Amino acid sequence: MYSDLLHALPDVFAWTNFAAVVIGVIAGIVVGAMPGLSATMAISVLVPFTFGLEPLVALGLMAGIYNGAMYGGAIPAVLLRIPGTPAAVATTFDGYPMAQKGEGGFALQVAVVSSSIGGIASAFALMLLAPPLSKVTLLFGPSEVFWVAVFGLASIIFLLGGNPIKGLISACFGVFVSVIGSDPIYGNDRFTFGQLEMLDGINIVILLVGLYALPPVIDLLETPLKTDGVNSSKLGTEPIWKALPRMNYWKTWLRGSFLGIWIGILPGAGGSMAAFMSYNEARRTSKHPETWGEGEPEGVAAAEVANNADTASALIPALTLGIPGTAVAAVMLGGLLVHGLQPGPMLFRDNPDIVFGFMWQFLFGAILLVLLGGSLATNSFARLLNLPRPLLGSVIIVLMLIGVYSIHGRMFDVYLMLGFGAIGWVMDRLKFPLPPVVLGLILGGFAEENLRLALRIGRGDPMVLFQNTTSLILVALTAAVVVGPTLKKRFIDSRKKA
Amino acid sequence: MPESRNSRLTRPETLTAVGIIVVAAGFLVPTYDLRAISALLPAAMLIGLIVLSVFLLLADQRKASAGEDAAPMTTSPKRVIGAFLMIVSYALACDFVGFYISTAVTIPLVAWTFGYRSPVGLLIATVIVVGTIWAIFDFGMSQDFPTGRLWGR
Repeated sequence: MYSDLLHALPDVFAWTNFAAVVIGVIAGIVVGAMPGLSATMAISVLVPFTFGLEPLVALGLMAGIYNGAMYGGAIPAVLLRIPGTPAAVATTFDGYPMAQKGEGGFALQVAVVSSSIGGIASAFALMLLAPPLSKVTLLFGPSEVFWVAVFGLASIIFLLGGNPIKGLISACFGVFVSVIGSDPIYGNDRFTFGQLEMLDGINIVILLVGLYALPPVIDLLETPLKTDGVNSSKLGTEPIWKALPRMNYWKTWLRGSFLGIWIGILPGAGGSMAAFMSYNEARRTSKHPETWGEGEPEGVAAAEVANNADTASALIPALTLGIPGTAVAAVMLGGLLVHGLQPGPMLFRDNPDIVFGFMWQFLFGAILLVLLGGSLATNSFARLLNLPRPLLGSVIIVLMLIGVYSIHGRMFDVYLMLGFGAIGWVMDRLKFPLPPVVLGLILGGFAEENLRLALRIGRGDPMVLFQNTTSLILVALTAAVVVGPTLKKRFIDSRKKA
Repeated sequence: MPESRNSRLTRPETLTAVGIIVVAAGFLVPTYDLRAISALLPAAMLIGLIVLSVFLLLADQRKASAGEDAAPMTTSPKRVIGAFLMIVSYALACDFVGFYISTAVTIPLVAWTFGYRSPVGLLIATVIVVGTIWAIFDFGMSQDFPTGRLWGR
């Protein structure tokens, strides 16, 4: 089972594949360091540019960006108290007070080492857990696959928190978009309105760029952000090997890694939840909890190790079942599809070199963080905060257009992307979750195909969907995911009243 | 606190819910021409969207009657509308005038309009971005960009 893992290693060291990870990590740190931009947005913009690339080059870029952005978010969190990514909110609690005391450089070094440790732990979890899980899922038939898709959608809607009605609307929208185009079995057109460009359906990249890249660009142009640059100019960074002996946070790193990995695997949770939980646990068990919030480096370590530990682990359900644990993982599934790699058990059987190579790239990306985020780089990345946001916004607009246009070489896709972008902006402002839309598009066609196949096997009898134990377990899990949060809330409310 | 909008029906969530209902109902019409099995999933999703939007609308109206103010979609609507218009104009310009001319104009125009007022910085950024795009995509990857319908190409 694990022999494929070793066989994939030489390919990862091909210079193009390795360079892709290095470039990805640097780009990820840059993107993460810019408040308003995120790993999800960066990967969405990047995906169309990877069409012509070898799969491992493309996936290496994505793995690098994901790892880099999770650390990059710590830079403005520490220096400006503005989290570069949502997962870096907990980093501000102690990182910013450290920067005010002139220890911003050390705070960023704690962040980069902790991020790297979290990322390494997460990559190992992916390598250890994904292969056996994929073996189990190989046994699934059409009805089980259908229920896996339903379970995935339900998980991301109901465990994501927020308003479940809005989550359901997002998912219905995503699934509806997935059925646009030719019917996969009968070939009749569905909602194409005579447009030849729509016959093949909506390319996932168009949706990704529209939903995830356009709203942040509007944000960049809408709100001018003024930075004083005071903390950036007094980083006081020393070489990282000199700073390492001052970092004795093994218990925090271990606990944060476990929490991050676990939360990453859970569909719908994410880096910010992992960082908060890890921070709270570390503070609770600290001998000096009174110093937390006033510049305690261990607070930065707790938050950063956990938000990086959920990166690769979020891909465990994504690669094996097609259910992403986080929004970035959902976008990465889109990236896999672009290269003809359908997430799920067949991926491990048909493309072991690519899927296991991708896992190694995650590991190397995490290790590279320390090397690329050292003192000199940290000083340089901190200066990124002074980049003018309107200029950045205008450049991203151009990149969006190039990326989408280059898919099929037609402007129709660009107009479609702008339409999805407008919908995405409204959804973003009204707090409709975006991951269910992407997952709906990915799983919709998949679910429909397997549902119809199962019904055909059962000669039209819908009971075929409930005729084996695995299907029933998946139905029960789906029901638990749907009802669980409501029951939990009621239980907490009744205890509060009591 | 009383609702500050002139009408409860102009609350963003209410308008969105109404919009979804209208659009989903419109998309339901073509499903009647499809085979039952082909229409199953899309019809289910569209009906789901309509039902869920009704719930969303009712919940929002209930909030309005309880005096809960709806948060505005944006604090600076002019900037948002301006940003959208500029992006759409850029896409149209690429389509009709051509990619390179439109890009060379759009980068400094957008950045200047939204607050970056350094002519030298704008010039350098535009030259670097357009030059890099040409070097990587046009020269390196032989990627074709729109040349402009107005010029008949």
